[in-house]
This record gives sequence, structure tokens and C-alpha cells, in this order.
Amino acid sequence: MQELGRLHPLTVAVRDIAAIFGRMGFGVAYGPELEDDWHNFTALNIPEDHPARDMQDTFWTKDQSDHVLRTHTTSVTVRELEKLAKEGGTTLRKINPGKVFRNEATDATHEAQFYQVDGFAVGPAGEVTLAHMKGTFERFYREYFGEQTRVRFRPSFFGFTEPSVEIDVWFEAPGKKGVWLETTGAGMLHPTVIKNAGLDPEKVAGFAFGGGLERLLMVKYGIPDVRLFHSGDMRFNYAFSSKEV
Amino acid sequence: MKVSRAWLQKYFATPLPEGEALADLFTSHSFEVDAMEGDLLDLKVLPDRSGYALSHRGIASELAAALGKPLANDPFRADIPPFPQSDALKVRIEDAHTCARYMIGLVRGCKVGPSPKWLKEALESVGQRSINNVVDATNYVMLDIGAPLHAFDADKLTHDGEISVAVRSAKKDETIVTLSNETYALDETISVIADAHSGTPLALAGIKGGKAAEVTAETVNLAIEAANFDGAVTRRAAQKLKLFTDASLRFQNRPSSALAAYGMRDVLALIVHLAGGEVVGVTDEYVVPATLAPITVTRTKINAVLGSDFSLGDISSALARLGLPATVTGEVFVVTPPFERTDLTLPEDIAEEVGRTIGYDGLAAKALAPLETAPDQERFQGMERMKDQLVERGFVEVSTQSFVKKGVVVLANPLDKARPALRTSLEETLSDALAKAKQYAPLLLSPGVKPKLFEVGTVFPKEGEHVELRMSERVEAWGDAVGTVDNLSLAKLEEYGRTYVPKRYELGVYQPFSLYPFVLRDIAAWTPPVVNVEEFLKIIRETCGPLLVRADLVDRFQKDSRTSLAARLVFQSFERTLTDEEVNGIMVALTDHFSSIGYSVR
Repeated sequence: MQELGRLHPLTVAVRDIAAIFGRMGFGVAYGPELEDDWHNFTALNIPEDHPARDMQDTFWTKDQSDHVLRTHTTSVTVRELEKLAKEGGTTLRKINPGKVFRNEATDATHEAQFYQVDGFAVGPAGEVTLAHMKGTFERFYREYFGEQTRVRFRPSFFGFTEPSVEIDVWFEAPGKKGVWLETTGAGMLHPTVIKNAGLDPEKVAGFAFGGGLERLLMVKYGIPDVRLFHSGDMRFNYAFSSKEV
Repeated sequence: MKVSRAWLQKYFATPLPEGEALADLFTSHSFEVDAMEGDLLDLKVLPDRSGYALSHRGIASELAAALGKPLANDPFRADIPPFPQSDALKVRIEDAHTCARYMIGLVRGCKVGPSPKWLKEALESVGQRSINNVVDATNYVMLDIGAPLHAFDADKLTHDGEISVAVRSAKKDETIVTLSNETYALDETISVIADAHSGTPLALAGIKGGKAAEVTAETVNLAIEAANFDGAVTRRAAQKLKLFTDASLRFQNRPSSALAAYGMRDVLALIVHLAGGEVVGVTDEYVVPATLAPITVTRTKINAVLGSDFSLGDISSALARLGLPATVTGEVFVVTPPFERTDLTLPEDIAEEVGRTIGYDGLAAKALAPLETAPDQERFQGMERMKDQLVERGFVEVSTQSFVKKGVVVLANPLDKARPALRTSLEETLSDALAKAKQYAPLLLSPGVKPKLFEVGTVFPKEGEHVELRMSERVEAWGDAVGTVDNLSLAKLEEYGRTYVPKRYELGVYQPFSLYPFVLRDIAAWTPPVVNVEEFLKIIRETCGPLLVRADLVDRFQKDSRTSLAARLVFQSFERTLTDEEVNGIMVALTDHFSSIGYSVR
């Protein structure tokens, strides 16, 4: 009999996440890793010379001064909203899984390349609110981490959302004291972003969110070093027991 | 921003909460607490609030809103008495875009000396060093209300009884020596404060003072600067010079130009108090006055953003706690932001202020309405179907680094200078991964199974970015036309995935693997007829102990009434490289044990 191979743990996780969000009406969207300044920053209300650009250490390319390695997959959100505007729609929900890049020195908890799942839900103004984001994430984390999971919002700042929050999850690793984990940056899409995508902020509103996947998995499975994920080392795949469900 | 609880306390009539209780207030309503040690809190003030909250007064205003207790002595709500005027102080701003306001004040007859204990302690409580009473006064006021200030030795600028400064672009090839004795080469994009008589640059505008007019122990007359420099200009200059200071951090976050006058008022008072002397005059070149437009927002709008059901009273009370003056007509609020709240411009900003002040904990969660059409996950499903097909055929999915030695797209600022380019294909990194996989195969795979890998990843060849699927070998069943690489950006994955449900797996807790080499051994034995494979392997595991990490049956055959079983054993330690002798010892013990229970080792 053919011995089965193994998926990468990130693939296993993205499938879990896509399934849960799929039940709440979210599709899956993709976009380029080498992104233009507009979709990575400017359309997201992070103008040049703004301190908000310092929040993400960026890789620039030599020959294309207006292109960066995307620092988040929120760039895909802009692309999807632009499509929605062209189609004349008002309602769309997507998650955008993919590799992103930050120019940070690497160590056991920092990698210059990692996966993010960003996403958004928009609808007619007033129908997709911060309270709906809370409902969406309470359900997501209950289904992902278990029924007992609690979620809290903390005030934060991102150029592309207003209000902005961090979404924390109360997590108790087996045999350990529970802690609030910072998992996701989120908020209501800033009217400037809606406008930049070609939509009318009076008519369309919604929330956007994004968070690193490796960090979530490190907590969920007790993985000690983020560098294992993109090491190409097959031993990493076999460091977990695996059962089809 | 490092703040001290004792310093914040001076803004409140009643004792502030301590420790965790204080930290929780910030966490729930304003800022993440990066660190807390005794009286010292390190708060993560993000760019939107950095225009007003990089100061104890700003942080205190956040606490006031969270606690529902107004500030006891708010320096921003107290009047600024008129400053004395002097013809001997002249300011010229070359470009209003670079500098919205420049104030210079002259204090005569000061005595520079050590700071009093309270001031030293206040500065030290937030990790700053005391220098002298004058410099400490400027730093204290900056940390207190957020206005960057600078003190010059006035005599070093006085020509014929007059002080005249210019805020201008630096000249090409001009240099400045800063207070810390570092020389910086300047250019036209960097702004300086210059002595208008001699042309000498005195300070890097909004960043740092220069040596030319340094305050020393001999200084008796002071020229004090309070100004407002443009955020973008300051930011670019600080980045170019790689000189990031408390002042540049504040200016790049665009505080109100009104703030300078409050800074001047407070620092002059403190200097006279600490060092004596007399304020001779202040010149205020105020070219771009601060204006903040009133914001109109309805209760309906606030609730439409937050999904809340706040009453007019809830909103009014939150605005009052925040110190945001507002009028209400029907359900329409007109909020007039105080000068320091440069971050408030939109109705959504007010929704956030109200939401975080009342607290997000109380916000009732709502479910999104179901959609009429099923979500579009077809492309994803197609990609995952491809992966499932490969896993079924024994392939293992890896992920490798996007950065390589050579490529078409090269980074301007690579992290690793030896790998400055983006991969043009997955070939190289996957073949490296395969070489390692072959080495580790006996640890992970059954005997005789050869490792097969695949990766799905973005590549950046000359033809342009696309998603590549690459396999370490061909899949026979897919036919001769299919090679080991596919451009998934061109593949019709949507069609392929339309109705596919990707397989789901439950993974166990991560089990660390040893980084030391492993040792292989084979053993074969004639066993009694009743012994089964499970029993045989169990005996091996129990006898060999924890250094045996894997045992697989590799052969079995029957002869007469006897069964021969053969196993491959993998030994590895978490702590060290195993020696042959050590493993041989275990094998001898295993052989002896087999003999003792009636097996005969072949």
C-alpha cells in the first residue's frame, strides 16, 4: 500500500480556517506577493512619510521603486474591493491567506517571511458593524480553539481601519496558566479605504482583519521556533501526529 | 512612551489605581502596556494618538476618560498669559511648509547648576538622565505636556545686542556638530535653525541641538526655542541622518502648532523657578495657525459603525469623560476637538472614542446575516485538491525560503546580504530540501520508502510573478506529458476545485526532534511460531530503551515451524551524538535478551 505523505501544518490550518469562515459566507482570495505601493500602503490610508509606515518594516526592490514585498495580505482586500466596485456590488466576504514579508531580524519568534490570513466583510452601511466582527471572531475562535474560548477587543491603530482593535483570545495550553493572546489586528474599514477602492463609504461599510498564522500555530501546538515553518525540513511535518478527520 | 505613576498622579485629586488595575485601564481603553515595573509603565502609543499622547498630560487625559474623573490641573485648559515683547529677538521662517511656528524666548541672568532632587527623580523615574537645571527643565516640560523645546546659550547668538535666527534648508555640503559631538553632513532636504547673522547652523530643526550654542555651566543668558516643524520633513531628515530623538519622534507625529506656546509658557516658568533670571521677551513667528474643524456625527452613525445601541446620554457622557466639548441637537452631535486632538477629523473617529471609552467588553456580539450565494472558494479548493492528490501518492509538502542568492528581482534592503534576490523557481530550494529529506528518511519513513517532496510557492522569474507547483519527481499516474513543475497561476484551478472538499487533518502536539545524527542497525531472529510482529517489535522497543526512536519490520519468512523476522532499528539521542560502541552495547543486550527467551538471532 502507498504510504501517505504529509501536508504542511500551515496548509492544515488554512483549511480549518477556510472551512469555518466558509460557513460564515467568506470566500478565499489571492494576490501578488510583490505588490505596488498603492495596494500595500497608499490605498490603505498609509501615506508616504507617515509614521504608520514604521509599523511594518518593509522590503523594497532595487529596480521597481514603487513595488514592495507585501507586508500584509490586506493588499488583497483592496484588490477585492476594487473588483466589487467595478461590479457595482455592495456585499462581499473574503479571507486572504498568503505569504507576507517584514524586514526584521530573525530569531525563534521572528521570521522575515510568514503567513497571514487577512480578510474582510462588507455590506450595505450599518449592516456589517464592529459588533458583527465580534460575533464573527467569537464564532471563529470557538470553532478553532474550542467552546470555552473567550475573545476580547482592545483599542489599537491601523491606518486602514477606524475604529481599530486588537483581538485577543484567552488561551489555556494544557497544564499551563491561561493568557490573553494577541492574535489579530482588526477594525472597521476606514472610509478613505472604501473610497480609494472606488466604493461609496456612505453606502458600503464593513470590517477587515489580519493576523499571523505561525504565531497562532506555535501556541496551538507548542511549536518552539518559528523558523521551522519555512526551513524545508521534512522532520517538521512528522513532528506532529496526524489524523484525517 | 515611558510614564511614571507618581508623575501622572499630579493630574488627579484622588489616588490612582496601582499595578495591574492601572495597567488594565490602559489595556481596555487606550494603549497596550509593553512593560510595567513598580511605578514605571511603558505604553505603546501608536501613531494616531502620538500627536497628543507622547506626554504625561496626554496619558493622564486617557486615564481621566477611563476613570471618569476629570484632570485636576489641565495645563491645556489654563490661559497663556501674554509674553513680554522684545525687539532684540528676530525670527525668519524660510518655508511655512517646513515650520508652521517658531517661538524664541530670552531669559537673562540665569544660574546654570544641578537640578533639585524632585526634578532629577522625575526624569530618572522614566529612564532619563539629569544634565543641568536648564536642560532638565526643557526635557521635563516635553515629557510633561509633549512640547519639544531647546535651550541655546543666548550670548553665542547675540550680535550687536540682537538675536536673529532663521529656519532654513541646509546648504549642500554644510555640516553641523551636535550636542553629543557627532558631525553630520547635511543637504537641502534637511532643515536647520541658523544664526541669521553668522549663518552658522545651530540645530537640526525638530531633531537635535548643535554644539555651536550649547548651554554650559558658564551660561547666564538663555534663548529658548518652542516650535512646530513639519512631520514629513522631520521624519525624512531623521531617517536620512539616522538620528531619531524624543523631539523628532514627537514632530513626525504632527502635534498641534498651538502646543508650542504652552511649552514656552511652562518652560520659562520652570527655568525662572530653578535657575532664576528674568524673561526679557518672546518672539512668536506663527505662520500657520492651528485649526481643527468641528465634527458632526449622529447617534445613528455611531451605532451604525459600532453595532451598538448607545443612547444620547451614553454618548454625551462618554464625550464629557474624554474632555471633548459637544453640542447636541436632536440626535446630532457637533464635537469641537480641543487643540491637542489633531487625530479627530471624522465621524468614525468619534465613534471610536465613544466605543473605547464605554468599553468594547460590553459590546454585544452579532452574527453576520447569511448570504444568498455560497462563498467562492473554488480556486483554493482546486489548489488543495492538487495537494491532496500528491499526499495520497506519498508526497510531503514543504515550505522553503523565498530569498535566494541570485534572481531577477533583487531587494534594495535585503536582510541577509548573501541572499538578496527572490527565487525564480522552487527548483533549487526544493532540491536542497530533498537532499536533507533523503538523509532523514530512515527516521521518518518506512524502510524502502523514498522521500518525495512538493512545494506550492510564489516565484519571480523574468516572465513575471506566478505560483509554482514543484515536485521532487514525476507522478507516473499523471502521464508522460506531466513533468515536475506547473504554473498554477495559469492552471484552471477553479474548475478543478469547484465541488471539491479539501481533506482535513487533526494534528497532535508538536514533538521536538533531535538535532543529533542517528545510527541504523538491522536485526533478524528465528522466533517461536506463535510470536507475531507486534510482539517482536514490542520486545525490541522494551529492551533497547529510549535511544531507540524507530523500529520497522523489513523481512519475514517461514521455514518449517519457525518464523524469521527482521527489523531495522534507528537509534538517536536528544543530548549527544551516539557512538558505535554505545549502540553495539544495546545490540548485544538485545541479542542476549532474545536468546534468553528462546529466539535465535541470525
